[in-house]
Amino acid sequence: MTQPTSTTPIKATLVDITKCIGCRACQVACKQWNDRDGEETQLDFNLGFQNPATLSAKTLTLITFHELPDEKAPGGLHYLFTMRRCLHCLEPACASACPTTALDRRSDGPVIYDANKCIGCRYCIWACPWGVPTAEWDSLAPKIQKCTHCADRTEQPPPMARNGQALTDEESKQYRENIVTPACVKACPADCLSFGTRDEILQKARNRISDHPDKYVDHIYGEKEAGGTSVLYLSSVPFEKLGFPEAVSGAFQTGAACRTTGCHGGGCYARGRLRIL
Amino acid sequence: MVVGAMLAGAYAFFRRRASVLAGPSAADSEPHHIEFEPIREKLLTPTNKLLLILMAFGAISLLARFALGLGGSTHLSDTYAWGLWIVFDLVWIAVAAGAFATAGLIYVFQRKDLYSMGRSAVLMGLLSYSFVTVTLVADLGLPWHFYQLGLQAPEQSAMFEVSWCVGLYVTILLLEFLPVPLERWGLQRAMDIWRRWSGAYVALAATLFVYLLSRNVLYAAMAALVFSFLAFRARGREGEPIMLAIAAVTLSTMHQSSLGSLFLLMPDKLGPQWWSPVMPISFFLSSIAAGTALVVLIEMWIARAWKRQLRITQLSAMGKITFWSLLVYLVFRLADMLVRGQLSSAFSGGLGALFATEILLGGVLPLVLLARENLRTRPSALFIAELMVTMGIIFNRVNVVLLAMRLKGPMPQFTPETYSPTIFEWGISIGLIAATIFLFGLGARLMPLLPAERPQQGD
Repeated sequence: MTQPTSTTPIKATLVDITKCIGCRACQVACKQWNDRDGEETQLDFNLGFQNPATLSAKTLTLITFHELPDEKAPGGLHYLFTMRRCLHCLEPACASACPTTALDRRSDGPVIYDANKCIGCRYCIWACPWGVPTAEWDSLAPKIQKCTHCADRTEQPPPMARNGQALTDEESKQYRENIVTPACVKACPADCLSFGTRDEILQKARNRISDHPDKYVDHIYGEKEAGGTSVLYLSSVPFEKLGFPEAVSGAFQTGAACRTTGCHGGGCYARGRLRIL
Repeated sequence: MVVGAMLAGAYAFFRRRASVLAGPSAADSEPHHIEFEPIREKLLTPTNKLLLILMAFGAISLLARFALGLGGSTHLSDTYAWGLWIVFDLVWIAVAAGAFATAGLIYVFQRKDLYSMGRSAVLMGLLSYSFVTVTLVADLGLPWHFYQLGLQAPEQSAMFEVSWCVGLYVTILLLEFLPVPLERWGLQRAMDIWRRWSGAYVALAATLFVYLLSRNVLYAAMAALVFSFLAFRARGREGEPIMLAIAAVTLSTMHQSSLGSLFLLMPDKLGPQWWSPVMPISFFLSSIAAGTALVVLIEMWIARAWKRQLRITQLSAMGKITFWSLLVYLVFRLADMLVRGQLSSAFSGGLGALFATEILLGGVLPLVLLARENLRTRPSALFIAELMVTMGIIFNRVNVVLLAMRLKGPMPQFTPETYSPTIFEWGISIGLIAATIFLFGLGARLMPLLPAERPQQGD
C-alpha cells in the first residue's frame, strides 16, 4: 500500500448533497464509462424512486433517495439525494485485507483493482466499513467490482493538436484536466460534484460551510472518517439521517490503536504493517 | 512476530534439551516402548458405507460448485460474502490444533506419556488441513490465480499470512506423518532421506516464510541461521522429529492467531462480546483447548468403535491440558473484556444470550468437570466435559462468522440479504468431514497408527 506523501497530491471529489437534484446522470455516466450491464428495475416502497436498491457488480455508483420529515418543506417532506460509491480511503481497509494486492491504493488516491491478481477470497467485501466492494456472483470467474475514481481515465493520452494547429501549453493543460476528471463529475449538471486535489477540495468545503452556516451542518464527511477519504461530503442534515455510518471512525481507530499500542505478539497488525519484522 | 515465534520455538527447544540433560537415563535408556500396529477390522461397516455415500454427495457438490459457479451453487451474496465454508474452515482448523499441540507436547515438552496418541493426532491434523485447503479452493472465486500469493507481498494482510501458514503447515504435517507409511511398507531408503533432510526442509520453509512476510533478506538470513543451527543440533536425535514439531508449533501459533486477525477489520460488524483487539490471542488459546479436547474425543470414539482398551491415564492427562488451556483462554478473554469495559453489558440482549451460552456451557461447566482428578479419570465425565469444550469453541467460531455478525449489506447498507446455505454448500462441507473420518479409518487399518493392544493395561 502506498502511503500518502506530500509530493503526490491526493485527487478528491466533493459531493455537495444540498445541490444534488437526483437526475442520476452520474449513475448513467459511471455505467457507460465502466461498461456495466443494466439492472432489472425493482422499485422498493421504502426507497421511493431509488433504483437499484444497492451497489452491485453492475452498479458502481448509485443515487440514494431520502425523504425526511420537514414541516417547512412543501408536503411536509424534505427530499435529499446522495451519491454513494467508493470513498477511496487514505488507509483503505479493503487493500489492507487483500492477500494479493489486487486491491491497492495508488499514490494519487484512487483505490484500484487488478483482476489478474485477485484470487476471489472476498475478504475485501467484509473488510470495507461501507460495503463498497461487490462480486460478480453470476459469473463462473467472479471478479470484484468497485469504483476506481476513474483511475483508468488518466491513462488516455491528451490530444497534441486541434485542427492541425499544435496546442499551446495552456490548452494541453486544460485538455489534460478535462480528461482526468471522473465520468460522474463531468456528467453532473447541478454543480453537486467537484474534482481537485484533496487540499483544494477540503478548503472549498470549509469555505462553503463558513459562507452558508445556515445551509450546511458543520461536518465534512470523509475528512476524518476511517482515517480520511478522498471522496468528501457536505450535507444540510446530519449524516446519520442519510444512513452514513457514524461509528466508522471511532471503531476503526480502535483497530488502528491496537497496532500502535503494540500487541503485535498476537498477530494484531491487520491495519498496519508488520513493523517488528 | 515471526521472530517472537522463532524465539519461542528455540526456547522450547533448549528447555527440552535441558530436560534431556537433567535426566539422560530416563530419556535414553527408556525409549518410547510403545509398539504400533494396524488394526484388524472389516472395512465395509455400515458406518463406512454411510460415509462413502456422504463422500459421493460431496464430490457431486464440488462438481456442481465449479459447473454452476459460486452464484449458482451457493446462497452467498454481497451481504454474506462468507458463509458456511468459512465457518467450517475456522472450526476445523481450531479443532485440528490437536495435531500441533500433541506433537509439541510429546517432543518439545517431552511428554512421552502421550506418545501413544501422537500418530493418530497427526494423521487427523493432516487430513483436516488438507480438506480445509480443498474447501478454500471451492470457496475462492478465482482459485486459479493462487500463484499470485507467491508473487505479491502484502505483509499487512492477515489472509496472506493464513494462506502461506496453512500451505506450509500441510507440508510439515505430511512430513511428520511420513515415517508411519514408510515404516509400514519398509521403504528404508526413503526413510533415510526423510531422516537426513526433514530438518533442512524445516529450515528452508521457515526461511521462505520469514522472507515472504518481511521481504527482508536480513531477517530471512537470520531465520535461516537460527533454524539451520537448530536442525544441525537436532541431527543426532533419530526418531525424534523435534525440528518438525518446532515448525508445527511455530506455524500453528502464527495461523491460529492470524485467523483471529481476519476479524480485526470488522469492529463495526462483529458483536462487542467477540470483537477485541486481542482476538488473535483468544483464537490461538482457544484452539489449544479445542484441539486437545478433540484428540481425547477421537481416542474415546476409537476405543468404543473398535472395542479397544481405553487408555484413561493418558486421556485424563490430556484432559488436564485441556483444563489449563481452557482456563487460560477464558481468564484471558474475560479479563480483556473487563479491562475494555465490555463485560457489564455483555450478557444482555440476543447476542448476550449467545455469549452466555458459549461461556457457561462451553467454558465454565467443562472447567468444573475437568478440574477434579476423580471426575477427569471417569470416562463418561471426561467425555462430556471434552465434548462441551469442543462444542463451545465450535460455537465461538460460528458466532464470530455468522451469528454475532451484524452485516448491513452492500452500500447504502439499508437492505441486508439473509443467508441459509444451499445443499451444495452443505454437501462439500459434510462430504469432506466424511472423507476425513473414512480415510482415518482406512489409515488405521492399513498402517501402524494405533498402539498395539496388550492383555493388560499399560501406559
